[in-house]
Parts: sequence; C-alpha cells; structure tokens
Amino acid sequence: MTATKKAHPYGGKMTFWERTYLPEVFRGMGITIKHVIHNLLHTSEMPTVQYPEEHRSYSPRFRGRHRLMQRDDGSPRCVACMMCSTACPADCIHIVAGEHPDPAIEKFPETFDIDLLRCVYCGLCEEACPCDAIRMDTGIYEIAGTTREEFFVSKEFLLNNKSDGTEV
Amino acid sequence: MVKVTIDGRELEFPEGTSLFDACREARGEALPHFCYHPDLSVAGVCRLCQVEVEGMPKLTIACNTGVREGMVVHTRNERVKTAARQILEMHLINHPVDCPICDQAGECGLQDQYMNHGLYESEVDKDDKVHKAKAEVIGPHVILDKERCVLCSRCVRFCDEVTGTGEMGIFNRGDRAEIGIAPGKELANNYSLNTVDICPVGALTSRDFRFKKRVWLLKSTASICPGCATGCNVRVDHEAGRIFRLKPRYNKEVNGRWMCDIGRMTYRGVHSEKRLDGPMLRGDGDLAPVSWSDLHTFLAERQVGLWISSPAQTLEEQALLAALGEQARTSGGVSTAGRGDGDDLLLHGDRTPNRTGLEWTDLQQHDPASLVALVRETSGAVVVHGGDPAETAPGFLAAVGGRALIFLGTHANATSKAATVVVPMSVWAEKDGLFVNKDGRVQAVRRAVARPEQAVEDWRFLVDLWSAAGCADAPAGLPALRRWLAERVPALNDLDLNALPAGGLAPATAPAGAGGDE
Repeated sequence: MTATKKAHPYGGKMTFWERTYLPEVFRGMGITIKHVIHNLLHTSEMPTVQYPEEHRSYSPRFRGRHRLMQRDDGSPRCVACMMCSTACPADCIHIVAGEHPDPAIEKFPETFDIDLLRCVYCGLCEEACPCDAIRMDTGIYEIAGTTREEFFVSKEFLLNNKSDGTEV
Repeated sequence: MVKVTIDGRELEFPEGTSLFDACREARGEALPHFCYHPDLSVAGVCRLCQVEVEGMPKLTIACNTGVREGMVVHTRNERVKTAARQILEMHLINHPVDCPICDQAGECGLQDQYMNHGLYESEVDKDDKVHKAKAEVIGPHVILDKERCVLCSRCVRFCDEVTGTGEMGIFNRGDRAEIGIAPGKELANNYSLNTVDICPVGALTSRDFRFKKRVWLLKSTASICPGCATGCNVRVDHEAGRIFRLKPRYNKEVNGRWMCDIGRMTYRGVHSEKRLDGPMLRGDGDLAPVSWSDLHTFLAERQVGLWISSPAQTLEEQALLAALGEQARTSGGVSTAGRGDGDDLLLHGDRTPNRTGLEWTDLQQHDPASLVALVRETSGAVVVHGGDPAETAPGFLAAVGGRALIFLGTHANATSKAATVVVPMSVWAEKDGLFVNKDGRVQAVRRAVARPEQAVEDWRFLVDLWSAAGCADAPAGLPALRRWLAERVPALNDLDLNALPAGGLAPATAPAGAGGDE
C-alpha cells in the first residue's frame, strides 16, 4: 500500500497571515471584550447563578431526593408491596413488611430504607408505585454527608421530606 | 378410544377422559379455570372452562363433560372467548383491587386469567364493591381474606375429600356468600397449608410466609422434604441464601400434589440459631474454636473405634461412613430416634428421611441399650455423624467416658456439648445427596442455599477423612462418588445415580417417572 497524502483539515495550505495567528487572536479578544461589556451593561441577563446563596430552579419533573407520602393521620401511604424495590435497577430500596393492626390497611412497611449512594435517580420507583406513596418531587439535589451511614435514609426521614424541599 | 375434534384437530382419547383434560392436551395449555383441580371432585362452579360443542345449543363446561365419539369442540372462537371474559368479569365484581398487599400477587390465578382471557375495562366502581372480613385467622397456619375469595370451593372439597375433616364450607348466598369455618372449628389439620396452595386467589394465605417475601423474587430448587420417611417431593423457595417456604412438587408415586404442614416447617431448622458455626476442639475443659489444619491433625492422631451414622444423613454419607468404618465398628444410630405419630395420608411415624439407606449400606441400628453396649465393647475414639445419641441413648456419654468423642453435626445438642471435637456440617438444603424413602425410592436432595461459611459439605469431609486414612482411590467429586455408591450398594447396581429422573427411582420395581407439574 502506498502512503497517500492527507488533506489539510482546513482545506489546503495556510496563508502568511494565518501563519502569524494574529488576526484570530484579535478576533477572539474582540468576542471576549464584547461579552464583558454586554454583561457589565446588562447584569440581570447573566447566566451565572450565585450558588450556594442562589439556587437554580429546576422543572417540576426534576427528580430529587425521594419522599414517602403520608396518609391523613401521618402514617405512611406505602403498603410495602415491594414494587419499587423490584423495579429498582440499583437495588437500593430495602423494605421489611409488617402486619398492620387495622385489617383494612393490612400491610405496612416496618422499615423502608433507601441507600442514596446506590440510587441512580431514575424514577422507576415512583413510576412503579401503585399507591403514589413514593415521590421524587422534593427538588433536593444537594445530598451530602461525611459517612456512608448518613446516606442510608430511613422511613422516618423519608416521611418528613416535604415537596418544597424543606425538612421537618 | 373415542375420536374428538378439538379446534380442528382430530385426536383420540380413552373413554372416560374429561373434556377438560382432552382440551388441555389438544391446546397445549389448560382452559381458563378456577374450580377444576385434577385431584379433587368436579364442582363446576366457576364456569370459566366453557367450550362450544357442536350440536349443543349452549356453551358447556369442559370439566364436567366427558369425551364422546365424534364430538366437535371449539375452544378458541369468539363465542367462547367472550363467555370466559364475561364470567371473569362477574368473578371480579366484588374482588378487591389490593394486589399490592396480597401475598398471592405474582402466582395468582385471577391475575393470570385476567391477563390471558380478561383485559376488559371494569364497570364496577371501587366503592360499590361488597366488603367482607379481611385477615381472619382460621387456624395455626392459615389466614383467610373473605373478600378475595372467588368461591371456587377447592379448599372446601380438599377438607372434605382429602383430609376428610370437613372444617370449611360456603355460607350465605348471592354476593354475600363467603367461605368460612364451621362453627366452633378451626382449620387445624396437618394438611391445612395445601388449601393455600390450591387457592387460586389470595383468599387463603400462609401465616408463616405472610408478607415475608414477594413471590416473584423467589428462586426454586427441586428437593425432598427431610421431615419423615415418606420423602415428599418439594420445591425449596429461597432468595439470597434464605429459605422462605417449601411447596409440594408433583410426584404421583409419592405425594401427589400434597405435603403436610409439619414437613413444610422443616426449613426453619436451616436458619436456626443453634447451627454450629465453626470447628471446635476441647482444650482445657471448654470447647474452643480451632483451625481446620489443627483439627485434621487431631483427627489423624486418633484411632477411631466406632463410627455412628444417622437415618437423617444422605445415602452417600452413610455409605462413606460404612466404608470408613471397615477397620472399626459401625452403627446406624438409635432406631427409636425421630419417631412420632404418623397418619394414613402422607406423614410417616418415622421422622427421618433416610432410614432405608442405613439398611442398604449395612449400618445396623440399635436400641439405646445395645448402642451403649456397643460403645462399651469398642475402644478408641467414637465418631458421631448426625443425630444426638447423648440424648436418645441414656448412658451413652458415660460409656464413651474419657475417649475422644468426635461430633460431625449441624446443630448444637447434648452430643455436641459433650464432644471433644465438633465439626460443623451442612443440612439437607445445603448439600447434594440421595434419600431413600420408606418404599425404597431413591430421590435426590439438591443444594438450594449456601452453607454457613465455616461448615463443610459432609461427603467431602468424609472423603477427605478416607483419603487421609490411606484410601488411595477415594471417589473425588459427586459423579464419581455416586458411581462408587451404585457399585457398593447391591440395590443400586444397575442404576445411573447421576441421571435420576425428577421423580426419583424405585429400584425394586420398574422405574416410574413422575408426571408433569400442575
């Protein structure tokens, strides 16, 4: 096989001025300076968010940290059917079902733990839930901690996540 | 033989075949049904299995119709499908929509029938449904949800026809009709959990299994119940190394489609807190954990005078122990151990799974006194594999005296507490092996769950002991072990133990295979 000459990526030989790079340098500077002046004159249009003082607002469909919905009496709406843990691709939901004293409710989660470190925030759990008991509409995306245990959240924690992102 | 045309296919059936079975064979799948059960009488109450027979003005139920010469039957036309769909809709009028709570979800007849034959839009509002008692305890093992019942009467027929105890009945009429327990009775017979198996919906559920695990997460292993000498074929349902329940596996030669409640609860011993969890050696008075190499060194230094097996061990283990004991004395343990009350259905008075195996491997059983006498006669260390002779044979420990007592077992008991060496072994659900039931049928137990980290597989440990004792050609691996076993035991000479059928083999009679699963 004979070596073929590769075409120049920009189509041929560079001219003298191109080889000095100066026209492009000045053009780039021009764009930068144009934006600096524009932003200084129109500060309200700047896309930068002053995090953490300011929070960016996401769409209502954004999947944040989970919460468990409550019945009117404050008990969990969840009936421990395990649909969410079955659907979970990350295997991060751990439920232990128990017998509820009220036969009309019959089954409830004795424990409902989510391992937030394993969770991939795909939302399949809330889609699988037949009782609208788990939602990811808290909008909370700042999930930080210093130990692994802090990310292993319990039923009580999840029940007290409010949709507006506040914790009670 | 009569000729019947089903869905355009002409087939021949023996006279007296029910049209239901004929249709199952012709279609390759059963007609939709709730009340029909092959081991119970025909009730004809669910009306789901209706088919069109040419010449009959109306649809007819297949379960209660016999095949007739020249019958032309349609099971898949629009008229039949519409009938099934409408009957199903009627069954579901008052059925609660609480599948998320219901333990039956995933193996529910109603869910299956709806997905296969229903798929209509419900016209009944959830609030208009008739509500009945939920979660009613009706016996030591069974819980009843009257709302979910579709009144197929399988459980009623089971209690009338199989156990003959007649605890259950259908009470009231119309949409108030409900299944219930006869006044003053409870569903306390030893076969009550079979009603849970045959219940096509979630009306009868097991109290033991209730809410423990969703059924679709379970994995199944075909095995044998270790509860008694009958050797019922079972399915071990387990997940993540834990057994959740035993279910009967169809074998028409042994247990049919049933098994007893005592047998179903045998799985509890597998995860018992009394399981031995590491090799131990008696040092200065107390048993203390020991490393495997130290344990083998200790065993190699001991001259064993008596090997005692047990009727709860597998055939391979009993044969290996008999082979190990050829230079010493052997025993099959105490013959009265594990005796209880039997009944004339499935439960046998001998609560050990493999006493026949002891006979086949020439291990003689003793009564307590003669076992103690045998121990006195011998000198050297005593090895006990399974069982609890210290408990069942009074004076056993005194007879052992200051000699080394080597216990190969699974659970802590009187013998393990007095032993010089304790080696943790595997229980039936953690190993492969063969059991021979009371009728001489060889059936295989299979490993369902992992054994505790420190436990060993019995036959591997015995093979190692045998090799250490100087046997150059001790069988390596399970297939080789089974070939060796077939040569050693006269009753098994002609059998290939590595290719046992699912229903086991009875060498004395012609090999009888098990039928399909219902």
